[in-house]
Amino acid sequence: MTELALKKNAPPASSYLLDFWRKLQKNRMGLVGLGMLLSITLAAVFAPVISPYEPSSTADVGAGDIYQPPSAEHLFGTDDAGTDIFTNFIYGSRVSLTVGFFAAFISIVVGGVLGIVAGFFGGRWENFIMRFTDIMLVIPDLPLIVVVVALTKPSLLNIIFVIGLLGWTTTARVVRSQTLAVKSRKFVLRARAIGAGRGHIIWRHVLPLVMPILVVQAVLVVSLAVLNESTLAFLGLSDPTTVSWGQMLNYAFGRGAMSTGAWWALVAPGFGIVWVVLGLTLLGQGLEQVLNPRLDTHHLMPGRPNVGKEAEVQSGATKPVLEVRNLSIDYVSQGKAPAHAIENVSFSLKEGELLGLVGESGCGKTTLMLGLLRLLPQAGQIVNGSVFFGGKNLTMLTEEEMNAVRWSGISIIFQGAMNALNPVRTVGDQIGEAIIKHMPGYPKEKIQGRITELLDLVGIAASHKDSFPHQYSGGMRQRAMIAMALACNPSVVVADEPTTALDVMVQAQILELLAELRRKLGLAVIFVTHDLGVVAEMCDRVLVMYGGVTAEYADVDTVYNDPRHPYTQELLKAFPDLTKPKKKLSSIPGYPPRLDALPPGCRFAPRCPAVFERCRTEQPAIHAIPGGAEHVASCHLVEGVK
Amino acid sequence: MNAEKILEVRGLKKYFEVGRPSLFSRKKESVHAVDDVDLTLRRSEVIALVGESGCGKSTLALLLMGLEDPTDGTILFENGDITHLNDSQRKPLRRKIQMVFQDPYESLNPTQTIEEIVTEPLKVHGLGDAADRAERVRKAMEDAGLKPAGVYLKRYPHELSGGQRQRVVIASALVLEPEVIVADEPVSMLDVSIRAEVINLLADLRVTRQIAVIFITHDLGSVGFFADRVAVMYLGRIVEIGTMLEVLEQPRHPYTKALLSVIPVPNPRLRHERIILQGETPNPINLPSGCRFHPRCPVAVEKCKVDDPALFDLSSSHRAACLLIK
Amino acid sequence: MPDSGIALLSFREDILLNRFQNLIRRIGWAVLTIAFVIVLNFFLFRILPGDPARAGVHDPRLKKDAVEAIRVRFGLDKPVINCFDSLNPVKFGNCGVNPLETQFFIYVRNLFIGEMGFSYHTNRPVTEILAERLWNTVLLIGAGQILSVIIGVVFGIAAAWKARTNIDYGALTVSLLVWSLPTFWLGIILLFWGSANGFPIGGKATPGMSSMPLSVRWGDIAEHMILPTITYTLVYMGEYMLIMRSSLLDVLSEDYILTAKAKGLSTFQILRDHALKNAMLPLVTVIAINLGFTVAGAIQIESVFSWPGLGLSIFEAVNRRDFPVLQGAFLLIAVAVIAANLIADLTYTYLDPRVKME
Repeated sequence: MTELALKKNAPPASSYLLDFWRKLQKNRMGLVGLGMLLSITLAAVFAPVISPYEPSSTADVGAGDIYQPPSAEHLFGTDDAGTDIFTNFIYGSRVSLTVGFFAAFISIVVGGVLGIVAGFFGGRWENFIMRFTDIMLVIPDLPLIVVVVALTKPSLLNIIFVIGLLGWTTTARVVRSQTLAVKSRKFVLRARAIGAGRGHIIWRHVLPLVMPILVVQAVLVVSLAVLNESTLAFLGLSDPTTVSWGQMLNYAFGRGAMSTGAWWALVAPGFGIVWVVLGLTLLGQGLEQVLNPRLDTHHLMPGRPNVGKEAEVQSGATKPVLEVRNLSIDYVSQGKAPAHAIENVSFSLKEGELLGLVGESGCGKTTLMLGLLRLLPQAGQIVNGSVFFGGKNLTMLTEEEMNAVRWSGISIIFQGAMNALNPVRTVGDQIGEAIIKHMPGYPKEKIQGRITELLDLVGIAASHKDSFPHQYSGGMRQRAMIAMALACNPSVVVADEPTTALDVMVQAQILELLAELRRKLGLAVIFVTHDLGVVAEMCDRVLVMYGGVTAEYADVDTVYNDPRHPYTQELLKAFPDLTKPKKKLSSIPGYPPRLDALPPGCRFAPRCPAVFERCRTEQPAIHAIPGGAEHVASCHLVEGVK
Repeated sequence: MNAEKILEVRGLKKYFEVGRPSLFSRKKESVHAVDDVDLTLRRSEVIALVGESGCGKSTLALLLMGLEDPTDGTILFENGDITHLNDSQRKPLRRKIQMVFQDPYESLNPTQTIEEIVTEPLKVHGLGDAADRAERVRKAMEDAGLKPAGVYLKRYPHELSGGQRQRVVIASALVLEPEVIVADEPVSMLDVSIRAEVINLLADLRVTRQIAVIFITHDLGSVGFFADRVAVMYLGRIVEIGTMLEVLEQPRHPYTKALLSVIPVPNPRLRHERIILQGETPNPINLPSGCRFHPRCPVAVEKCKVDDPALFDLSSSHRAACLLIK
Repeated sequence: MPDSGIALLSFREDILLNRFQNLIRRIGWAVLTIAFVIVLNFFLFRILPGDPARAGVHDPRLKKDAVEAIRVRFGLDKPVINCFDSLNPVKFGNCGVNPLETQFFIYVRNLFIGEMGFSYHTNRPVTEILAERLWNTVLLIGAGQILSVIIGVVFGIAAAWKARTNIDYGALTVSLLVWSLPTFWLGIILLFWGSANGFPIGGKATPGMSSMPLSVRWGDIAEHMILPTITYTLVYMGEYMLIMRSSLLDVLSEDYILTAKAKGLSTFQILRDHALKNAMLPLVTVIAINLGFTVAGAIQIESVFSWPGLGLSIFEAVNRRDFPVLQGAFLLIAVAVIAANLIADLTYTYLDPRVKME
């Protein structure tokens, strides 16, 4: 079964480099850049074939041939010596490319070796190399290059060496930090544990991961070298025996092209430089995008409009604080079928109730919570259902109306509070911000007192109010996050895995704190977690999710002692129970489904021990299970159970 | 269990120097990551090493692997001293002790295929010819539950799921036919439904291959049926060690008791009183005087601030370091 | 509930101490770097063919006693440094000479009293030439840098905020294009266009202005500055825009932005209160590192527009083989860049609460 899933889901096996090349082929920017470079390289190689004249040939040049405008005879016109600019332009590319590539080669080799040595061996070597690099980095390089070339002979070889030997500093830094990053990864430690020597580790593990960055860096260094060469030539420091673009500009600028209006003598060589550098820049950007694919989406992008505009009203005599009805959320991406991340989820939350939302990674629990507050990423879209809170359907509100509900009505505690708190603002300031936003009438002078009070509530001393998040320990940050969530007296608090990544004891402290606050303040809490034990300890009701759908929803005792959905049953068997230490744990074969490859029928069918034919084709509806409490499960097996 | 000792640790210490002397302060401080640990591992035994972050359990693993140099103490492997070996002396030993890491994604080189990853140890040690290697790789992978091996050989780590990746890590450890596996939190990054698979796999290996396992975890609840013995660490020391049942059912150290009490039980009918220790583990630079646990200990008395307790024998296998045990 | 802040050290004092330590350390490094540049500057001109003082001595126009006067004045009769009488060609000498009696020491001493020799071309003291030109460069770089940062930041914010819209693509295209333009060429093209459209064709002031009232003179200078400043701004704004865009994109995908959004803050409030400061921080470093490159830009722009700054001095010195001016200008530029870097570094330390020590 596993292999089957593998064959279907995984892309065909490919080599790492091939994969890279294939991605670059899809990157328009990179391809355009590559094309520009190839064209000019071809021109340089086949210069004698393409050019109509000999370079800088003054044979049969008469006085009348100086600064002739472009014509059929001289495509780009003639220069101050009456020679053909097109010919010089083609031959000039040879110098630019030669200097660019060879100088960059020197820089990359020197910088790469120094960077890897410093990063990998560390210690005294690293100290010496990096201090030296720092010093070289602040010394302005062009003036230094100018000075050295001016003092020596401006021959092609000298220029290559000077530009190359002074251009390695950024490469050394970039390579060093990448080497450090690679070195700290566990597979290097694993290679050491196998007994691999340093040479093997550098060659097999460090170099392959440094190489892509080195390639991007090389492209950048080539373009800098090309620019530096042309600048030198423009300043009059070029090999007089060969023609180059910078030199052409120097002659034209210094010998009357400006006053005679001979724009062609100025445009052509400059265009050549721009062509090469722009090509390199585009290629570099393209490579960068392939290496560090960024989604280019962020939290401030406008969300997608909610579909499913049924003007439903909340029914029932006792209205719960929060009621979610048939909520469905899709992830939409261009050129792909929408992924049904959440389908048809309903639950309600009574005043003071603690609802546990349990599921494995990728089951959609976080998406569901973000959907409630309409904080979905740009690709997320509510396609059906309603969220009733305070008599309003939140899916129908405008963004401004929603902003008024957020935090003052429903607040959220994110997992990993280090990233959820702004690192450059003090904790007290970030708590106060919510008060200022949602309680405009709150007396200014009392805000500081309120912040202290909130921090006290979660067990943080007032003296830490003006500290920054990084000065807190992990447990304290999570406490601060809780204090912040309580700032505007919300009626519902969503806690999204608030204790993941915390130590066992700190986790217990935070759970205790949440339980206590809930009692004290009468909060309704949705507790999102993957930990069945925590749910059993704390919650009143439990919603078990699998693959974006409700597996089972009931009160906590029913879920643990009379589970009906096979997933709930299996999950409980896989969870270690301290009271039965000798019991062998069972596991659920296979893996949770990926959102972009959901099985056609029941989403649990591929892993279900009780699977039968119907499960593979038909998605089960949510069935109520008779018996006092509200208990539902989405499984064909419970259909019609009396 | 009276099987032959395979790995033995005596008085092991590892201090890390922190803070370089600067213009303003010349005092050198050290982190007491591992501070006087004794431990014996027997053939095909599983010891669970449990503790919170910063207790030194991962450093202890690196010391056992020879990836860190101990400050003091000795490590014996099959009665030979392996405490301070140079790289070439240690190389043959590496075949015998292998490691499995916490994050299976991080511990696989993304540029290598599964075949390259699992073959690499054989190449490094120059074992076998091509056909022999292929056979060993296939066997290791199938023993690690990657069946049939051929399906996985040409794939890259990113094409596998978390559980499969952890199996690849285990296969690449098995291929050298080790006698000891040090597993550092091998399941903490995996989903609950998959954890049991990996634990069961490790449990099977000790039977099929007589491999001894040091299983490092922060989750005392997960060591259950699989560990023979459990050692609880706090601030660089083992504070309690005993057979699994002794530690889980009759814990004697207040820290072990607290750790056990906060483990949630997946049954709402068994909600119980929890001993929640206040504060966080102190920084291992400025260790408390006396018993290291006393500032957080719910039952500490005056003498705990002065006397540093040694491990006290409670039975032939059960020992705990607390002054209040008598 | 008791305070859980055991792990919290008395960090307030720590930070103050660390900030002070940090300040001292960074100043120390800047001083060391300047020392390195001085040494480099001395030996570069001694080792490579083209020793400034020696070149002067070989000037055939000079009379014998004048040569001797120069030799004594620059200490050329003394050994270059202990053990070496000369470095090009290498001539070993007495290692036991009084270090104070070497060319190196004399060079350093002269630097401290502000003497950097005489220009071959005008025979004026190098210090004097450079002093009047330094401010022109500062004026040009200052104006250009401020404008390019402002424009770059504004466009960067717009591009990141409106990511993947035409605003973004437009800003991206423009910045990649201007980034690829050679500075001097852009200058030439602007000058070509400007001279046809009534802009001054170079220099800092129209001749004969010195008798005019101050306001007119300032206006004249401003007019001369327009084209160089536009060149400068165009060349550097692209890079700032790209950095601001990617930095803001990074910040806007951070979790704390989601927190801010969950708090019900409006888009404007989030940008103002949570995103901009965080996103500007990397830019400060880049501006600092860029200072070295902006000097390179100044050399090109000043050469094209004959703007009488340090860059033009370098250009002229190279073409006239006026080595004392070249040596002095290089030293002055290097020191200025190092100082500017130090200031930017310290600003960053001050702005980002996370920086304590590395």
